[in-house]
Amino acid sequence: MADDEPRISYVERLGRTSMRSVVLVALWIVLAEGDLESLKVGALLAVAAATASVALLPGPLPRLSAWGLARFVAFFAIQSFAGGTDVALRALHPRRPLDPSCLWYDFRLSGHTPRVVFANTLSLLPGTLSARFDGDRLEVHVLDRGASTTRSIAQVEDRVAALFGIVLPMSGEVE
Amino acid sequence: MIPVVDIASTALFVASGFYFLAGSVGLVRFPDVYTRLHALTKADNLGLGLLVTGLALRSGSWYTVAKLYAIWLLVLFASATSCYLVAHAARTGGIPVWRNERP
Repeated sequence: MADDEPRISYVERLGRTSMRSVVLVALWIVLAEGDLESLKVGALLAVAAATASVALLPGPLPRLSAWGLARFVAFFAIQSFAGGTDVALRALHPRRPLDPSCLWYDFRLSGHTPRVVFANTLSLLPGTLSARFDGDRLEVHVLDRGASTTRSIAQVEDRVAALFGIVLPMSGEVE
Repeated sequence: MIPVVDIASTALFVASGFYFLAGSVGLVRFPDVYTRLHALTKADNLGLGLLVTGLALRSGSWYTVAKLYAIWLLVLFASATSCYLVAHAARTGGIPVWRNERP
């Protein structure tokens, strides 16, 4: 095991293992379509997976804000329609209108998980594609220089921040 | 089954097919690896989302609905991750970004 991993107490380890076991058992019940007989195997596997999870990721998992999550899901659904339709029309258009470019975006978000969620969200949303992490900035490939700007990317970052219950500096500026 | 559900899910399937088709057309017509990744990630996210929603309407079981959306989430995660890996490899490997030279 790595030396830089956070040391956690026995109680914390037990608490996190049980919490993650409960979540995994719930997932098992969904996958087994409510067949509780199968929990004989499922519960055992869930505890084993939770133990492995705490061994690999001992730190606390980032907490999600329920209100942020609801807003994020709605935002994601609407933007997915916009993004899918935009790229479909460009693909089917006789002249195939594209004006791609790359830009560097400075993270306001900190923390590994929020940044990865943000970069992945950008890749799934209209006109943007995360291409490269470099320290505190992210290289973004955009499909249309005119349409995707630092400002629209910052808006996505605000939504991801809200998902984790974080308020970003300067977030008022992008509204 | 209620006809309304039939009509709604069929409409979702047709829309899903349209986005998958458009994504494939983009894969063929777009000029470089980056723009092609755009076509795949966006169209697949929406195409599969619509397909899963149409299937969920017909499933008649909450367990199946939960499973279908779990599949969609896993695919989104895999899609965004592999998209990043390809784009990152292309960018660090020095594959140039296609620019529009037309006015």
